[in-house]
Amino acid sequence: MKILRGTPVTALVLLVLVGAVSFLAAREFLAMRVPDVVVPAPGYETHLLSEWEPSLKGTPADTPVYIQAGSEPGGTVLVMGGTHPNEPSSSLTAVLFLERARVNRGRLVVIPFANIMGFSHNDPQEASPQRLHFTLADGSVRTFKYGSRATNPIHAWPAPDVYIHPQSGQELSGKEKSNLNRAHPGTPDGDLTSRLAYGLRQLIVKEKIDLAFDLHEASPEYPVVNAMVAHERSMELAAMVVMELEGAGIPMRLEPSPKNLRGLTHREWGDFTETMPILLETANPSQGRLRGRTDEDLVLTGRDKCYTKAAALGRLFVPYDGSQSIELRVARHTATVKTFLDMLGLFDEAKEVDVEGIPTYEELLGQGYGAFLTPLPLKDASPGSQG
Amino acid sequence: MTPIYRGIVALVLFLMLRCMFREKDFWKQVTGALVLIPLVLRLLLLK
Amino acid sequence: MDWFWPEGFYTLVMVGVFVLGAFALKLPIAVAMSLAAVSGAVVAGDGIPLRHLVEGTFGYLDTILIIASAMIFMKTVERIGLLEAVAARMIRRFRSFPLLLSLGILLLIMVPGMITGSSTAAVLTTGALVAPVLIRLGVPVLKTAAAIAMGAIYGMIAPPINLPAMIIGGGIDMPYVGFALPLLLCTLPLAVVTALLLVYPDLRRFKGDEVALEEQLREMERTPLTPRLFLPILVLVVLLGGETFLPGVWPALGMPLDFLLAALSAFLTGRRWNLLETATSAVEDTLPVMGILMGVGMFIQVMTLIGVRGFVVVSALALPAWLLYVGIATSLPLFGAVSAFGAASVLGVPFVLALLGKNEIIVASALSLIAGLGDLMPPTALAGIFAAQVVGEENYFRVLKHCVIPAVLTAAWGIAIILGASFVAGVLY
Ligand SMILES: [Zn+2]
Repeated sequence: MKILRGTPVTALVLLVLVGAVSFLAAREFLAMRVPDVVVPAPGYETHLLSEWEPSLKGTPADTPVYIQAGSEPGGTVLVMGGTHPNEPSSSLTAVLFLERARVNRGRLVVIPFANIMGFSHNDPQEASPQRLHFTLADGSVRTFKYGSRATNPIHAWPAPDVYIHPQSGQELSGKEKSNLNRAHPGTPDGDLTSRLAYGLRQLIVKEKIDLAFDLHEASPEYPVVNAMVAHERSMELAAMVVMELEGAGIPMRLEPSPKNLRGLTHREWGDFTETMPILLETANPSQGRLRGRTDEDLVLTGRDKCYTKAAALGRLFVPYDGSQSIELRVARHTATVKTFLDMLGLFDEAKEVDVEGIPTYEELLGQGYGAFLTPLPLKDASPGSQG
Repeated sequence: MTPIYRGIVALVLFLMLRCMFREKDFWKQVTGALVLIPLVLRLLLLK
Repeated sequence: MDWFWPEGFYTLVMVGVFVLGAFALKLPIAVAMSLAAVSGAVVAGDGIPLRHLVEGTFGYLDTILIIASAMIFMKTVERIGLLEAVAARMIRRFRSFPLLLSLGILLLIMVPGMITGSSTAAVLTTGALVAPVLIRLGVPVLKTAAAIAMGAIYGMIAPPINLPAMIIGGGIDMPYVGFALPLLLCTLPLAVVTALLLVYPDLRRFKGDEVALEEQLREMERTPLTPRLFLPILVLVVLLGGETFLPGVWPALGMPLDFLLAALSAFLTGRRWNLLETATSAVEDTLPVMGILMGVGMFIQVMTLIGVRGFVVVSALALPAWLLYVGIATSLPLFGAVSAFGAASVLGVPFVLALLGKNEIIVASALSLIAGLGDLMPPTALAGIFAAQVVGEENYFRVLKHCVIPAVLTAAWGIAIILGASFVAGVLY
């Protein structure tokens, strides 16, 4: 094969090929920049985070914020998904609260795509699927993107060798600089990820959020999974909720927020604002390091032969009986958030929040996630499609 | 910093093109072509 | 469900196509890797997944910028005569102290790796600097290259910057704090042993022709080593050092920019050289490695897509307890064939989770040491390839042969540290 001679002509032919391949690949990459469409339930107002932190205006970090106030006064609760766009049950749960909730008392703030800059690309060498498809009750199909843990590098490139958390000086691998959940409480003059975290903090402070959820998923081999991480201030309420969930047959680990791991919501929102932060984790085989074939089916069903074997070897921290479906993961998040909402009033009467319309754990497991999504309106009128 | 790094990518891309057109070995040209793809896509901030 | 089928079969297809392409058809390794990736996708029924193939290459985009700019820097200091002038000065100063010289040279090779976390940076800077010294003083070319490769790897693992340890830590939410002592324990003893094994014996024995040596030294000193000539190295030290030791204060320019600025500063030395030709030849020399990284990127992405990656990882975790350590010592370096960082991420994290209960910092440090050996593993073998290049050896496999003993010692040392993690922790903290 070595005999083949290279000439300027062969170079030119190769360049044309490079152009063709780049063009075709670029089309697929650019498709990831089209935002997911959501259909907020009646009563929601649509905002952008830049209303709380003006420096985000016009930047790719500016993410939609939806607020619904009940007729009765009460507490204010934030449900935030999409800190890590490769943890789909997190944003899907937030979308469920956005499309189903009827708030009677208090206020509900929903941010479904917290790091919207992570929804526009996939991580190299992770072979993630680009989209998840859900069939609705009326037979129509809606899609949601499966993104990356990190801010799109086109907005944050180059990454430094070492990321230094500004408030603590903690050193982490440089790629963590693009990780929203290492950027809290954020700075007004940092890079986009840090400013995004700062904007979220501003929102929590100005809207007087009483209880703030940051929804996640983790790999099944990771110790903190099917778990709740609570700041000291949230601990008492969290403990009540965990007992309630146990009673309902939903086992949940409760972990105190470590003091020495900085930049995470459960630590920084608690220390830098008055809110009660709660971080929730479900088990997502499609982001794990032990997973086998990686595709949409794995994300939706969590069925994986490598995890089955790893479970038999005792390497996992969750009971894994061969699957870990998206319905189960969304149902866990949903039931936990709902239980918190139900108990917030018992904890502090003035902060009571009453929300209806959220499917139960059993309903989600029985009917599937798509059954609770609202069909997309016709093309011309698309209220609340997010920018 | 991003504009500077786009500049560095442009530089490497240019040098790579120069190598490819001088190269006498076809398979080495192919190797160069492989490297060009991510350079082009990052230069244009498409990926 | 059968464990081997079909992922084991896919593994064989991918490895088989690679071997066929690289060795039977004598294709460049980059091309053979890419073909292996495509074949894996095709037999798994994914056709030619263009998006995945291209996406995989992006895992190494930053690496190829570092490699290209480091090589531009190295070629520049070579062209302006700085490399030879420094080597001549070192020979005159230290040749009567062979032990000190052997240890000092190993440390010198390590330093750029320590502050950049990259073995390539070490090989192409101080590695290139000491190569002519060692060769003139009678160390065989292949042993010189082996010492440079090993020193570069120890430098990459030694504190303050160790990227594999950060990657492993990141996988279990462990901040990169408290690693300095364990990492020194991991690397310094090995560096000393390597110096004594590969460098010291020949330096001590050197009874060369004094007249001929003097003549060579004169030749090397054609360009007088003035402070002005030294400027590019000084600039590089300041830029890389500032970023490491004044974090937050010093602007984070990143290694590619550091290397290019240092290369540009050569204009101020008053020496003349052709910038464009130097830079082009630097890219030409690094092209095979950059291509290999692209091929490897595609290979890993397809491995992940079709389930081969999980098959490999869980097969390693499935080893019985007593074999787990053997598995660590072999699979981490072997997976390093696709890159040490890849091995740290794909295997290092599961291993540290499998070893939970021991001191995690010490375990992660030792795992990063073993993962570092991946930079010796063909086809990527970054440390081996570049070390061969700085001594002018065409076939890097001949260099790797001389790395075998230090590498085995390295793996054994890493395992010993993991086994004795609690004892080590008691002594260090
Ligand atoms: Zn997460």
